Amino acid sequence: MELLSQTLVTGILVGAFYAVMVLGFSVIWGVMGVINVAHGELVMVGAYLAIELDVRYGVDPFVALVVVMPVMFVAGWVLQRVLINRVVERPHLVSLLVTFGLSILLASACKSAYGGDPRRISVDYTAPLYVAGIAIPQVRLMILGVALAIMGALSLLLARTRLGKSIRAAAQNKNAARIVGIPIDRVYAVTFGLCAAITAASGAMCATILPVHPFMGGPLTLKAFTITALGGLGRIPGALLGGILLGMVEVGVATYVPGIGTNLGIATSFVLLVFVLIVRPQGLLRGLRPIGESDV
Amino acid sequence: MRARDLIIWAALVAALALYPRVVTVDNYRLLRLTQLLVLVSLASSWNLIGGMTGYVDFGHAVFFGIGAYAMGIAVTPLSAGRLEWAPELPYAAGLALAGLAAALFALAIGLPLLRLKGPYFSIAMLGTFMAVRELVRIAKPWTGGGEGLDVSASLDRRGDYYAMLGLVAFVVGLAAWVRSSQLGLALEAIREDEVGAETRGIATTRIKLATFALAAGCTGLVGGFWSVQNNYVDPDVAFIEHRTAEMVMMAMLGGLGTVWGPVLGAVALDLLKDYAWSRFLDDHLAVLGVSMILVVLLLPRGIMGALSSPRLVRWAHRAIGRPSVEPEA
Repeated sequence: MELLSQTLVTGILVGAFYAVMVLGFSVIWGVMGVINVAHGELVMVGAYLAIELDVRYGVDPFVALVVVMPVMFVAGWVLQRVLINRVVERPHLVSLLVTFGLSILLASACKSAYGGDPRRISVDYTAPLYVAGIAIPQVRLMILGVALAIMGALSLLLARTRLGKSIRAAAQNKNAARIVGIPIDRVYAVTFGLCAAITAASGAMCATILPVHPFMGGPLTLKAFTITALGGLGRIPGALLGGILLGMVEVGVATYVPGIGTNLGIATSFVLLVFVLIVRPQGLLRGLRPIGESDV
Repeated sequence: MRARDLIIWAALVAALALYPRVVTVDNYRLLRLTQLLVLVSLASSWNLIGGMTGYVDFGHAVFFGIGAYAMGIAVTPLSAGRLEWAPELPYAAGLALAGLAAALFALAIGLPLLRLKGPYFSIAMLGTFMAVRELVRIAKPWTGGGEGLDVSASLDRRGDYYAMLGLVAFVVGLAAWVRSSQLGLALEAIREDEVGAETRGIATTRIKLATFALAAGCTGLVGGFWSVQNNYVDPDVAFIEHRTAEMVMMAMLGGLGTVWGPVLGAVALDLLKDYAWSRFLDDHLAVLGVSMILVVLLLPRGIMGALSSPRLVRWAHRAIGRPSVEPEA
């Protein structure tokens, strides 16, 4: 019983990171129709930024968010203007290939800058708190807190502000949004900037719990895709539920299947992905856009 | 078209076969040529599924790795102490096993995955690639785990060259045959409008599966060959991240869905790699990434597309003094 509740709690804590990690991927796909294969690399860039701040100035990774997020907002804005805007509303193949190229570029840039060895940020609050015999690492609790705060802020932004309305309009119907005078290109750039900032924030936080290396991006992109398939496109509660579901499955497999440990994380999420895509192609919670013939 | 393609290809292969016999070639040059042939056959087999069928496979290198490992397990002697069980097969049987293993795996994985469309298929294949690499690392008694295997049945450089030449002749010949056959037309129909193809009575599932298995089998053969030439496999070199990217890049650069595109694309990438290796030793992957983005944006139909652009064709006709004929479409 204790093992089960420990597994569930750890699953939720792992899932909280996944949820905040996947937000940007899900929103970019939902709003722009671009599947960003370089998503995991954006997480990685955020992680390396936090490591850089930690090594040079001794800034705590959670404090570093104040720097990382604005920097990556601007970077995302520029990236959208220079590159992604050329492939938005083109066939999926084009945006897939361009972001694939971008992911290789970012990974190799980080490899030549930092080498291939895994790095991480050690913080002095990793020790677990014990609640009713269940271990809760403090740092994971902080990630959960920040993740919820970011998700809350994004929900408010989307629901309450004029900008949020424009973003939702762009996601629903681009042409109609254009006709009523919404500056779609600017909305896209802001959306991409926001998503890059959130994604990099998740990266900065994950540097405390995961080894950071130039090839960490691919598995994260795959997980982002899996969670989006589970939770639906551009939906914040979906991201949270999907993230927690994936976290629980991963932790559950690691706990209950003997002799495997956490080594099968990718295989687990892969099996989950294929299963969901085939059994419920519209997403577990509905809302995954079916790919029409003209869309491919 | 078909006859001309096959004649050109036969002449090219014959020239390549005679080359080391007529001219004295040092081992280094033979090795470089062999590596180029590996690239050509990889690009060509990726093109079967990614270009001709339009199922953009972001994990095709998984078949390369499976072929490499099948070969490694087949030929590694039990006495090497890496494996708990080893069949100790001869070279040719190992190669056949490599192709077969990859093709069978493609059939198994294709049955669910080929039902996915567009980007879903691409990402699911990326997942396949990473998941299989993980499994290979874990299944230590059968694969040697992270330490890898010594693949000992090496030929000499000249033998390597001829083995690879035979392989590449087969793969590109196969592509030329597919392109000109009924199968090629069916694939084109699937690429352009799968539902339409299905309603017209094309057995899309069967055809997609068969093509996928063919492409995978070819890639597996190359993988098996490569593991012998490399003398060694481990999860990181057999399933290296950028191999799929290179396949996609070569086919894109040459021209998706054409017979000669992947061949030209492979030569072009090889030249680019040479250039990148010599100038930006550390950043050759960055060069790959940047050139991929540029090709997609600037040369979407690849070298073949650029060569057949109406303006270029008109200019060429003028240059050789032939009356200008409007090219078809």
